[in-house]
Amino acid sequence: MCHQTVSLAARHLEANGIPTVVLGCAKDIVEYVGVPRFLFSDFPLGNPTGRPNDPQSQAVTLELALRVLESAPAPRTTVQSPLRWSADPAWKLDYSNIARLSPEEIARRRAEFDRQKEIAKTIRTKPQAAE
Amino acid sequence: MSDREEELGFAPEHDAPIPYMQRIRDYYQALGYGAPYRWAHYAEVPFAPLTKQLRDSRIGLITTAAPYQPDKGNQGPGAPYNAAPKFYTVYSGDSAAEHDLRIAHIAYDRSHTTAEDSNCWFPLPALRRLAAEGRIGEVAPRFHGAPTNRSHRTTLDTDCPELLARVRADKADAVILVAV
Repeated sequence: MCHQTVSLAARHLEANGIPTVVLGCAKDIVEYVGVPRFLFSDFPLGNPTGRPNDPQSQAVTLELALRVLESAPAPRTTVQSPLRWSADPAWKLDYSNIARLSPEEIARRRAEFDRQKEIAKTIRTKPQAAE
Repeated sequence: MSDREEELGFAPEHDAPIPYMQRIRDYYQALGYGAPYRWAHYAEVPFAPLTKQLRDSRIGLITTAAPYQPDKGNQGPGAPYNAAPKFYTVYSGDSAAEHDLRIAHIAYDRSHTTAEDSNCWFPLPALRRLAAEGRIGEVAPRFHGAPTNRSHRTTLDTDCPELLARVRADKADAVILVAV
């Protein structure tokens, strides 16, 4: 949902004259929504601005995003960071990959998902003080 | 992989960006939920050119991370998914102050990363450094938190206009948006 939310916000700002750049790790979602400028890091979800405990990779990522902001020639400009998460790409086979889960694990995840959904509903329906 | 492919230097087939929409669709169908989620999708994309150099620009920051809330359960590195710290209205924070933002309420990749370093998703300290170095003019006075809501209607009709109003109030010239 994060990538969708941020992409919709980028579009809204841009339609109102404010240039944006999106940083993210889910290429298909951001491009499917359609944003003006996108710096894509091919990293596990959770690391849109660089590798953990690696200030150098974080600096490179942010600088690339600024370059995309400055130089994109047209909407739907995606630049993929040259940084690699790991030499072995096997990590890409794991995320939400149903083929890798046992029936017991699927049942457990469904129960957990329903439980978390109820928690989220409680927060959503509770009045919140706007900051 | 055949010998021939190795000679050609091809990467393994799965070494491509993860097809998240397909994975998530298959995942929730296998879990037994009905109609697949319809993702927002547009053919037209707006584009606002930069009107100033970045060194003269005030840069805003929008994040989907949430402030750490000690009474809302485990949000620490490696915490299991935790919906309790989720938020459903836009929030803002002082860009000059330090903030402890977490992502336990987000379905990040818990098999391959642990969310131990907030610099991987909240580049406010890095932006302040770039302002000090003169790479950007300045950081906008506030950063803003965008709620992640399954409802397109809420995001488009409530949250996006609220974010725009706050970014305008900050007089930001351009905005960096970080999706976790």
